[in-house]
Amino acid sequence: MAVLKRFTRSLAIIATLCLVATGTVACGDDTESGEVALRYSWWGNADRADLMQQAIDLFEEENPGITVTPSFQEYEAYWQKLTTETAGGNMPDVLQMDFSYLREYADRGVLGGLDEHVGGDLVLDDLLAGFDGAGAVDGTLYAVPVGGNTWSMFYNPALFEQAGVPAPAIGWTWRDYHAAMATIKAETGTYGGGNYTGVIYNLEAQLRQEGSALFTEDGRLGFSKERLARFWQQGMDLIEQDVVLPVETAVQIKPASLWVDDLAASDLSWDNFLTRYAGETDTEIRLGPVPSDNPGQLGQYLKPAMLLSTSADTEHPEAAARLISFMINDPEVGRIFGGNRGLPATNAQRDAAELDGPLAAVAAYEETIADQLTQAPPAPPRGAGSIEAAFIRISEELHYGRIGVAEAVDQLFAEAEEILEP
Amino acid sequence: MTSSTVDSARPAAAGRRRPATPPSGRRNGDPMAGYLFLSPWIVGMLLLTVGPMAASLYLSFTDYNLFTTPEWVGLDNYRRLVDDDRWLQSVRVTAGYVLLAVPLKLAAALAVAMLLNQRRRGQGFYRAAFYGPSLIGASVSVAIVWKALFSDDAVVDRLLSWVGLDSGGWVGNPDFSLLMLVLLAAWQFGAPMVIFLAGLKQVPAELYEAAEVDGAGRGRRFWSVTLPMISPVLFFNLLLETINSFQIFTSAYVIGGRNGSPAGSTLFYTVYLYDRGFTDFRMGYASAMAWMLLLGVGLVTAMLFRTARGWVHYSGDNR
Amino acid sequence: MTPASRTAGAATRRRRLGSVGWHLAAVALLAVILYPVVWVVSASFKPSGSIVGSLELFPQEPTLGNYQRAAEGMAGISVLRFFWNSAVLAVLAVVGTVASSALAGYAFARLRFRGRTVLFVLMISTLLLPFHVLIVPQYAVFQNLGLVDTYVPLLAGKFLAAEAFFVFLMVQFMRGIPHELDESARIDGAGPWGIFWHVVLPLSRPAMVTTAIFTFIWTWNDFLAPLIYLSTPDKYPLPLALQLYIDQTTLSDYGALMAMSMLALLPVIGFFLFFQRLLVDGVATSGLKG
Repeated sequence: MAVLKRFTRSLAIIATLCLVATGTVACGDDTESGEVALRYSWWGNADRADLMQQAIDLFEEENPGITVTPSFQEYEAYWQKLTTETAGGNMPDVLQMDFSYLREYADRGVLGGLDEHVGGDLVLDDLLAGFDGAGAVDGTLYAVPVGGNTWSMFYNPALFEQAGVPAPAIGWTWRDYHAAMATIKAETGTYGGGNYTGVIYNLEAQLRQEGSALFTEDGRLGFSKERLARFWQQGMDLIEQDVVLPVETAVQIKPASLWVDDLAASDLSWDNFLTRYAGETDTEIRLGPVPSDNPGQLGQYLKPAMLLSTSADTEHPEAAARLISFMINDPEVGRIFGGNRGLPATNAQRDAAELDGPLAAVAAYEETIADQLTQAPPAPPRGAGSIEAAFIRISEELHYGRIGVAEAVDQLFAEAEEILEP
Repeated sequence: MTSSTVDSARPAAAGRRRPATPPSGRRNGDPMAGYLFLSPWIVGMLLLTVGPMAASLYLSFTDYNLFTTPEWVGLDNYRRLVDDDRWLQSVRVTAGYVLLAVPLKLAAALAVAMLLNQRRRGQGFYRAAFYGPSLIGASVSVAIVWKALFSDDAVVDRLLSWVGLDSGGWVGNPDFSLLMLVLLAAWQFGAPMVIFLAGLKQVPAELYEAAEVDGAGRGRRFWSVTLPMISPVLFFNLLLETINSFQIFTSAYVIGGRNGSPAGSTLFYTVYLYDRGFTDFRMGYASAMAWMLLLGVGLVTAMLFRTARGWVHYSGDNR
Repeated sequence: MTPASRTAGAATRRRRLGSVGWHLAAVALLAVILYPVVWVVSASFKPSGSIVGSLELFPQEPTLGNYQRAAEGMAGISVLRFFWNSAVLAVLAVVGTVASSALAGYAFARLRFRGRTVLFVLMISTLLLPFHVLIVPQYAVFQNLGLVDTYVPLLAGKFLAAEAFFVFLMVQFMRGIPHELDESARIDGAGPWGIFWHVVLPLSRPAMVTTAIFTFIWTWNDFLAPLIYLSTPDKYPLPLALQLYIDQTTLSDYGALMAMSMLALLPVIGFFLFFQRLLVDGVATSGLKG
C-alpha cells in the first residue's frame, strides 16, 4: 500500500531525528565502572556555584576514585526539583537541606541516617557549641549544619541618632522598641520600623523570652489563642499610631526590603541577611539584639540555616558522608566560601574564612551576644513551612483591615490544626 | 497541481449547520490512513499523557504526600474542597480573571492583527514590535517592570492623577491587583495576534473583491467576509485563551507569590494547587483540585463547542 | 483594510494619505505598548542595586557592568554553552512539533476513521489538566526509562504531537482548505499522503509558520521542564541559568538578570523576524487564481 510505504518512510525520518537528538546532545550518564559517582545538589546563586566548583575540585583531588556531579538551582526552584526527584525515587546522593524542611523529609524516610558514620567518614568534633545535635530528628542524625544565623534587630544608626533615641542594646524591652519607633517617626518623618507582627519568628522570639516555644515537643502549636491575639493586637496598635511601614508599601517594594530608599529605620530578620540589605542601600545598617521584656533572656539562638543530608537510597553512603565532612571541616573550603554559606558552622572554617564587609559585622555581632544564645529548638514539625506562610498571609489580611484580630487568630488556629494533623 | 476555482460560496450564508467537531469527511476514505497519520500522536498519548492523567485521577482519591505510598481515602479530598475557603477564593479570583482577560486580550489581538494585515512598508518591523511584549514571557523581568509601572507614584498612577483619579498604586491595593494581571495578559496579546494574522492571510482576496463589487463597505466586509472566514481561528483563540486563562500560573506566581499577595487577591486556582501539592506536600488534594478544574473547564469547553456550531464556518467541510 | 482594488487612478493620493495615517496610528499604539519593554531594556543598564523599586524609565548612571557580569557565565560554564543548549532544544522542538502536529492535524481535520471523535475529545481534554499534577507521574515514566538528565523528556512530547495546542491549531486551519482541491488531486490519482503532501501542507503554511514561531519561543523560554529533568549544569538552557541570578537566600543580581534576559531575547527576535516573512497570504497567493 502506497500510503503505508510513504508513511513508514516519514516515520523513520522522525525516529532518526529523535535518535540524533538523543545521541548527540543527551548522551546518558555513563559512569566508568569501579568509580564512585556522587550527585550533589544545592540551592544558591551563580557566585555560590563558582565557589562550589572550586571546593568540589579540591575534594576530587583529595579523594581519587570519587567524582562529584553538581546540580544547582535557585532556592524555590531547588525545592520543586528536589521534591519531584524524591517522589520519583531519584534523590541526589548529597543535598542541601533547610532546617524548616528537615523533619518533612526525615519523617518520611527519604534521608539517610548519619550516626554510623560519625567519627569515621563524618567528623563533627569541631562544630560550634550551639550546633550540637542540630540536624537530629527524634534521636537520629539526618543532617549536618554548614552555617548558621541568628534572629536580630537591624537598624539605621543615623536615624536613631537624629531622633535622639539610644541604639539597641542588651536590656532594651519591646516597650522601648515601640517608643523608639514612635519617636523616630515623630522626629524624622521616617517610619520607625517594619511591622514585625507579620513574621512568625518575632512571635517565636517573644515566646522563647517567656520560656515557651513556637511548637511543643509533640509538634503542636506552643502558644494560646490569647497569646497570638496579644501579639497581633500590638501590630494593629502600631499601624494605628502610624509608626510602622504600611502594608501597601511593603507589598509594593517586594522582592526588595524596606532598606531600599531608607523607607524605615529598623527591622527584625536573620543576621546574615545583612549582606543582602547592604546591597540595597548605601546607608549604614547595624545589627543589635532583639528587644526582650525578660532581662537575661534574649530568646535568640544559633539556627542551623543550611544543612547537608544524604539520600536514604544512596549507593555510596560512606563517600557521601566523607563529602559532607569535607564541606564542613576543610579549612581551605572555609576560605573559598568565606561567608557565602552563612557564617561557617565549624571553628576551623570560621577561622579560615576571611570575612569582610557586612559579614565581618555579622561575625562581630554574634560574638557580642554569644553568651546570650540559648539551645536551638528541635527541628520544627512537618508543615512548619506551611504555617509560616499562613502566618504571613493571614497577618497581611489583618494589616489590610480585611479581617479583625479575633478572626485572624481563629483562621491561623484552624489552618494549623489541619496542617499539623498527624 | 491542477488549478481549480476557489470555493465561491459566501461562507456567511446563514442557516447552514455544521458540527464544530471534525466533520465526517466523505472523501479520503482509506480507513487505515487516519490511524497512520495519527500514530505519533497515539504513541505520545499512550506514553506521555494517558498514564500520568490516570495516575493523577487515582491520586485524587488518596492521601499522598509525594514520598510515601498513597493511601486510599475515597472522596475525602473532594469533600474537603467544598469547605475550603481558600479554594473558593481561588475559584472566584480565577473566574473573574477569565471573564475580564479573555475578551480584552482577544480584542487587542484581533485589532492589531487587522491593522497589520496590510501591505505596508516595514511590515516585519511592526509585527515584531507588536509581538515584543509577548517575547519576554512571564519572567521575573516582567514582574519587576509591571510593579514599576503600577506602583504608587509610578507612571500609571501619575497618568491617572492627571485625570483626577488617585489609585495610590495598584500593586499594594488588593482591589486593583487582579486588574493589573488582566492588563498584563492583554498586553501580551502576541500569540493570538499571530494566529489571527495567519488566519487573515488565508482569506482569499477574491472574496473581498467580490464583496467590494457588491458595494459592501468596510464594516460590512468585516462582518460578512472577514469574521466568517476567520471564525475557525477565532474559535481556536477563544477556546485556547479561555483554557489557558483558567490555568494562569507563572505571571501570577512571580507577581503575587504563593499566597496570592496582596491579601489573597491574586490567589489563582493553579497557584493554590501548586502551593498545596508542592509546598504543603498534599498531592492527593492537589490532584482532586486539578480534576475539579478539568470538570469545570471541560464544561465551559463543551459549551463553547456547542455554540460554535452556530458561528464557526469551515470552508473545507461538506455541504 | 484589504489590498484595495488597483484600478482607480485618483485612489493613489488617497492611498498615500491613508498610508501616512496608518503609520501614525501604528507608531502611537506602539509607543504605549512598548513602554514597558523600553523600561526593561533601560533597566539592564541601571546599577544592579537600583533596579527593583526604581520607577524611572532611564538610568541616571548608565552602566555596562550588568552585561559584563552576564557574559562571564557561571561555575566555569560559558554563557555560549547555555545559548547553544537552548538553541539545540528549540530547533529540534520546532522540527518535531511542526512535523508531528501537521500529521495529527491532517488526520483529525480531513480523514475519516472510526473513533475519531472520541480521540479528538481526548486530545482536547489533555489541555484541561493543570501541568503541576502531571509532573510527578511523568517524571516517574522517564526515570524508569533511564532518560532523566537527557534532552529526551524535553523533546519526546514535541516529536509525538503531545501538545494539543498545535494539533488543534493545525486542525482549525486545515479544515478551512476547500475540499475541491483534494477532489482534483484525487482525480489526478493522489491518495491521502499525496493530498497531504501536495495540497494540504502547502496551503497550511501560515499554520506551520505560526507553530514554528511559537514552538521556538516557548521552548526557548521554558523553565519548568528543563528544571525538572536536567541536573547537570552544562546541559542547562538559558532560563535555568537566568534564574540563578535571583536566589532569595543569597544576593540577587537583578542587573545581570536583566542583561542576560536582553541577550536571551536577541535570538528569539531574530527567529521571529525571519519566520514572520513566511506569513504571506495563504490561499490567495498560492497559484490558485487559475
